[in-house]
Amino acid sequence: MAFYTLGLTFNLVIFLTVIVLAVWIYGIYFNFKKWGLGSTGYHDQLRNSFWLFIATWIHEAFKDGIWVFLRTAILDVLLLRRTLARSPVRWVMHMCMFYGFLTLAALSGLGLMIDIVEHFNILGLAEPAEVAKEVLSLPFDLFGYLLLIGATIAISRRILLKFVRDNTTAYDAFLIGSVFLITITGFYAEWLRGNAFLVGNAFGDAVYAPHFALIHTILALGLFCLVLPWSKYIHVIATPMTLLANRGGE
Amino acid sequence: MADDKGSKPLLTGYMLSTQLMEIDGCNRCQECMKWCPTFAVRPDRPGITPMYKNAKWRELMAKNYSLRAKIFGGKPLNEDEMKLFTEDVYYCTTCGVCGTVCEAGIKTVELWEAMRPNLVDRGNGPYGKQSFFPKLVKADRNPYQAKQEDRLCWVPKDAKVNESGDIVYFAGCTAAYRQQALGVATVRILNKLNVEFAMLGKDEWCCASAMVRTGQREVMAEHAVHNVDALKDAGAKNVLFACAGCLRNAAIDWPLWYEGYIPYETMPLSVFLREKIRKGEVEYKIPLNYTVTYHDPCHNGRHLMHLKGEDWAFEASRDCLQSIPGVKFKDMIRNRALQRCCGAGGGVKAGIPDLALDMAKARVLDGEEIKADVIASTCPFCRRNIMDGRNDAKSSIKVLDVVELMAASMGLDTTIPENPYTKFQEQDVLVCGPTTCEVETVERKAPGKDLVGEAH
Repeated sequence: MAFYTLGLTFNLVIFLTVIVLAVWIYGIYFNFKKWGLGSTGYHDQLRNSFWLFIATWIHEAFKDGIWVFLRTAILDVLLLRRTLARSPVRWVMHMCMFYGFLTLAALSGLGLMIDIVEHFNILGLAEPAEVAKEVLSLPFDLFGYLLLIGATIAISRRILLKFVRDNTTAYDAFLIGSVFLITITGFYAEWLRGNAFLVGNAFGDAVYAPHFALIHTILALGLFCLVLPWSKYIHVIATPMTLLANRGGE
Repeated sequence: MADDKGSKPLLTGYMLSTQLMEIDGCNRCQECMKWCPTFAVRPDRPGITPMYKNAKWRELMAKNYSLRAKIFGGKPLNEDEMKLFTEDVYYCTTCGVCGTVCEAGIKTVELWEAMRPNLVDRGNGPYGKQSFFPKLVKADRNPYQAKQEDRLCWVPKDAKVNESGDIVYFAGCTAAYRQQALGVATVRILNKLNVEFAMLGKDEWCCASAMVRTGQREVMAEHAVHNVDALKDAGAKNVLFACAGCLRNAAIDWPLWYEGYIPYETMPLSVFLREKIRKGEVEYKIPLNYTVTYHDPCHNGRHLMHLKGEDWAFEASRDCLQSIPGVKFKDMIRNRALQRCCGAGGGVKAGIPDLALDMAKARVLDGEEIKADVIASTCPFCRRNIMDGRNDAKSSIKVLDVVELMAASMGLDTTIPENPYTKFQEQDVLVCGPTTCEVETVERKAPGKDLVGEAH
């Protein structure tokens, strides 16, 4: 099925992706440099350095040795122990969003590589690449549902719980709403293609499918790769780094 | 409206670079808001909660350090906004419950204590009467404008206190000048248990906790170095503290300022006494027929639990209380690591006394909820503030120190000798006969009138 539509070519999409990734990488660098505005120790002078932030973080994260670092990485970063201790519902939400989002991001990256292999027929692997893409569609669906469950809980909490609702700012609403929107458009794009997981051909539409896939791709690239380093979503990177630097926190 | 022209950017010098990262690590889960004891009594001010403070810091920093600022130039900070933000940062007792429940593992106490000196350097902090702390402490080496020579004026003539030795009791300014019943009870118990111990006398300077908590670090170095050196000179191997604020500072803050080896261990007095109880050396004579609850001081509990372990931080005092005959021990609903702060810490008692009072009343209500007769603690500042809250709420609950309860039950004479500071003694006291003890409640002058007891 044709994926590239509305005048977009494969090369143009690759070019846009490279730009977005470059902005994303610069965003991460920019944040690290901003954090480098702090000092490296209790009495130390300011150095304003990207590298000294990295050095300080490594020093803090490994202060108690490699085993504590690994324990924190597994229990606190990967299993979100602190969240579970406070609220099992929020833990389910975070786990769904965390693993759903990360896996979809990784699968998207892999999908892009496969697309490139297929497009340029690198090493004559165009055909196996096509098969690989088909194989990827199931994990895409499963992790998509995972993200959808997480995003739905997040939205529901913000709407249904008074305390949470009262302290939700427009900023929170925009960012959580954007995750939800991307997830929903992703599903709809998949359903329009037909033969989708769980719904089969119920929503299949060969004409609109490429357009909707494009909308989803642009929203995902634009909102996440551009917004992530410049918004509260930097916590996707800063929170695990904080947990590691503080050896699991209090 | 304040003039914003030539406004300085937000200073970041006292923040570790990883702390700046922590601010971005806040995922706005709102858990801190549910537990914050200041927000509980000021629900109309969400700005004082950690989540909002982090967001505001990020916003203020962005004015000069964001990509927009890099491309188009920084914006001056609005001084009215800065004033409000400063107020929000100081409307915090640095109790640390937000750090305990934080999903992102942000070490919030350290974070607030790093934000404050930046605000002080920028000319925004400290808050209210907190600015007197460094002047008072620098002039007199204590916050009560008392004479250093009088440090031991409350020690009974027949008590045995050495000038040096392995064990040193660091009494702290409040026990020395304002809650001498605590000092006398400690000395009496140690004597009764035949513990050879020393005190520093005039060489004991204020621990300077209030300065660190309120972001005024300039006096800290001198006091930390002096006290550590004095303890080393006295030959200390084990330093006992009956004041949670002094203990926190000696265990966590002094080593940050002292370049050199520190040869002694810092220990809560309750841990030392529990050992004696376990060895069967403590002999009780008078049952105390009260329902007693324990208020965990933040400085001795949450602040120290990772350094000294939860057993030392939370259980030792409870074990001491439960060893007293007649005592019916009951925990308040919020206890140990999730305890509700009394409201005295972080300079709040001096800077924002009405907030401290409302928080104390909330804690008294916690005690009343479980029908406690006595709220016991191991922090003179918690005790002072909870007593103020009790008086304001006209509650019948009594507020005492664990050590005083033990001394009373051991049948020890805890009479405070007449001294120049007798008129300042305003604590609930246990008056004991041969077989029973009664608690006498002492009313107090209007809270916040004096810097006394407000230094932490």
